[in-house]
Amino acid sequence: MPTAHSIQSIGFLTAFSESVLAYPIVLSIHLACIALFGGMILATDLRLLGLTFNSLTITEMVTSLRPWKRVGGTIMIAMGLLLAASEAEKYAPNPFFWTKMIILGLIGVHALIFRPIVYSKTEELDQSPVIPTKAKVAAILSLGLWTTMFVMGRLIAYWD
Amino acid sequence: MLLQNAIADTLNNTEWAFALAECVHIGGFAVAIGSVALVDFRMLNLGLRGETAARILRYTELWTLIALLFVVFSGVALFLSQADIYRVNLIFPLKMYALAAAFIYNFTVHRKVATMENPPPVLSKLVATVSLLLWVSVVFGGIFTGFLV
Repeated sequence: MPTAHSIQSIGFLTAFSESVLAYPIVLSIHLACIALFGGMILATDLRLLGLTFNSLTITEMVTSLRPWKRVGGTIMIAMGLLLAASEAEKYAPNPFFWTKMIILGLIGVHALIFRPIVYSKTEELDQSPVIPTKAKVAAILSLGLWTTMFVMGRLIAYWD
Repeated sequence: MLLQNAIADTLNNTEWAFALAECVHIGGFAVAIGSVALVDFRMLNLGLRGETAARILRYTELWTLIALLFVVFSGVALFLSQADIYRVNLIFPLKMYALAAAFIYNFTVHRKVATMENPPPVLSKLVATVSLLLWVSVVFGGIFTGFLV
């Protein structure tokens, strides 16, 4: 894998993966983001399913957590890419890594499909007497995609 | 001792058992810390302002507790599978102190202030910040246990 080799040979990436402290610090930040912002995604999905947080409007749930999810997601992905790039030769042939990347892509597709009809239409959802099916579908898919993403992340370490 | 050996055998000799235990452990702490963080974000006035911190705590506390049970059980199994390594690990005891501190703090100070009728805003923010720092320090402790042996 010449491409993978040249990626991980980039000066700062080599220094990064060889550093005793930098690698575990970045991995810890990656995981802390999963906990903090994964919790927000979980809470939003459960609210869309009508299972909890029912005294909060869907609008409040979605919009007040949105900026933090964006910040958290950006940090999480940046740290993840740094971890993968610094060991590109190990990651390149790893099927779990690529499955994870496909899921990441599908999460993007999920956003493209459901943002215009669910996440940008929360006031409409709040006015509806029952939570519309499209919102529940969005929540269930989101739960499934993020859970798979999480499990694939862990399994990357087990492939050799 | 017998139980310890049985758990260690299963985790070390079954291909998927260790991976499963790790997934439960990490997934559990994500839910536990994530649910506490929702209360903390409310106390810091950073989101969910339509509801009181006390109410957010009521929604999340059972999740926190159940998730922590999963974390502890899977954690004990992971520990027993490589007990000799953990016993001499320099970081592992620090992680346990951080966990004990975060746990006790969560069910005493944090709970008390989150459920106060009209807590001084400074107090709420301070308590929430300490909570986030304590829990994140446990995550760092867990990762560093694996890296600095």
